[in-house]
Amino acid sequence: VKLKLKPPIAGPPPGPFRRSFWRSPIRGPWLTSVFGLVLLVSIPVVIVTGLLSYAAYNPDLSPVNDETPGKGLLGFYLFSWPTHPVWLYRLNQGVHVTLGLVLVPILLFKLWSVLPKLFEWPPLRSPAHLLERLSLFLLVGGAVFEFATGILNIQTWYKFPGSFYPLHFYGAWVFTAALVMHVVLKVPTMIRALRSRSLIRELRTNLADTRPESPDAGYLVSPAPAAPTISRRGVLVFAGAGSLLVAALSVGQALGGPLRRTALLAPHGQEAGGGPGSFQVNRTAAIVGIKPSETGDTWRLTLASSGQAAHAGHAPVVLTRADLLHMEQHTASLPIACVEGWSTDNQAWDGVRLSDLARLAGVSRPSSVLVRSLQRGGAFSQAVLSADQIMSPDSLLALRVNGADLTPDHGYPARVIVPASPGVHNTKWVASMTFEA
Amino acid sequence: VRRLLRWYGASPLNLLTMVGCFALAGYAAVMLLKVNALGVTVWFAGAVIGHDLVLMPLYTIADRSVRAVFTRRPPELPAVPWINYLRVPVVLSGILLLIWFPLILRLPRSFQASTTLPTSPYLWHWLAVTGVLFLTSAAAYALRLRRARGRARKAAHPAKEAPARPPAS
Repeated sequence: VKLKLKPPIAGPPPGPFRRSFWRSPIRGPWLTSVFGLVLLVSIPVVIVTGLLSYAAYNPDLSPVNDETPGKGLLGFYLFSWPTHPVWLYRLNQGVHVTLGLVLVPILLFKLWSVLPKLFEWPPLRSPAHLLERLSLFLLVGGAVFEFATGILNIQTWYKFPGSFYPLHFYGAWVFTAALVMHVVLKVPTMIRALRSRSLIRELRTNLADTRPESPDAGYLVSPAPAAPTISRRGVLVFAGAGSLLVAALSVGQALGGPLRRTALLAPHGQEAGGGPGSFQVNRTAAIVGIKPSETGDTWRLTLASSGQAAHAGHAPVVLTRADLLHMEQHTASLPIACVEGWSTDNQAWDGVRLSDLARLAGVSRPSSVLVRSLQRGGAFSQAVLSADQIMSPDSLLALRVNGADLTPDHGYPARVIVPASPGVHNTKWVASMTFEA
Repeated sequence: VRRLLRWYGASPLNLLTMVGCFALAGYAAVMLLKVNALGVTVWFAGAVIGHDLVLMPLYTIADRSVRAVFTRRPPELPAVPWINYLRVPVVLSGILLLIWFPLILRLPRSFQASTTLPTSPYLWHWLAVTGVLFLTSAAAYALRLRRARGRARKAAHPAKEAPARPPAS
């Protein structure tokens, strides 16, 4: 009987902890680095547009606008959101959401390419290695968390554990911090790996000529590679085709016009109804509980002022819709752009300038205005607009759109429309406006 | 200090970056956990486990099984690698499902009441896109097969006036 002796130093347990378990002949630092480079260039765009989207709500102007009041230092970059160009938020959010979707295939291929590292043996070599593995937990967890919350939110399937805004905002900072660590640790490896092979030559190499990367190139190269079933070129084209397909089936909801119908799988890829009010809606009158009885002849708009003007004893002004229609009417050509990434072409809005309403309320130089909707409850039943937003000649309390009265779903009897602002700050079914001197 | 760094296992710059970034991540994580500590933890861990230990092993096993099961082919067909003509449509269709499953499976119940848009078309759109992907792939494979067969025939009978049947030997 032979006695089996344990080796003096324990090797990796069988299964995925042994490098020979991983047999892909194309896994290797070069392939991982190509995916890494694509993500390194594009993920920062998604992060920056996301942070800008938060700034677009003007959260520092009023607690009413701030969904993440505990942000502290994480709001260091905030600034007063501009009112031009009018397509600014439309572009920002179209890029944020569409690019995020397009990166899903690349992210999946990148994670596939580094899977053996998850089972690295020994699992912890040094304190530095422990920190790196912890950062990878935050990186993978953070990436999947951010993509998942964003993707579920745009489909209005709110199954994540809390309110979308704080989850997506704080999650983004966890992910960003982990990403910075990963980039600092890995960029030298990435550059070395990218230099180790020529992209052009790889794109000319077919399956028959595909060979594994050099075995000493790093952990990812299999010590026991199987025969290749796909070339590196094939994998790159595969991932690229995935991204192109996702883009083709979703970008139409941000481009609008005749291209909207091409967004076969995007939430706002369908045309909405017909007639002058036939553009996209996020919240109908019915779903937020606006009753026809509230928006009929009994509807009144209350203009109030606070601050010094209020001390001067300026009484609130109460207006009917007919009063508003008798005031000087202006037209503004502005889009609706949602945080969810869809938007509409410019619509022709007719109504009264917000600056005229401020004067009527007795505040000639307003610092802000609190706009309240008839809608009861809900995070966006009210919004505070900045001085810039009030004074823009394109900022209206709109009464009509595209030559007809507003439809109930677009905010009849009156709604705010402000250039370059997130859709939810264009308050619908406005009941009152309180101007701050 | 040198001994400390040797114990740590990397450069001082590495240590500084890691400490700085973990401070930032920690600060954000505290705010994130305040939203819903249990839920967020479950989601983060679930994200890592769900992807690395469930989704990836599943598709790896599926890929290997398909290749193991479909090893036979009619002997008259030339050997053209076929796995990628199956992988590409399956994976692309799967990615679309992974992203859009709530709309495809009509899970957001108040979507239509909220946006006026029905959720009913998404399943059909996804199936149609999937069908186009598979048909395109099948057509590409057929083309490849035809070319390979042509090549094989040419290789077997290089002369122009080759007999229709190979002479019995």
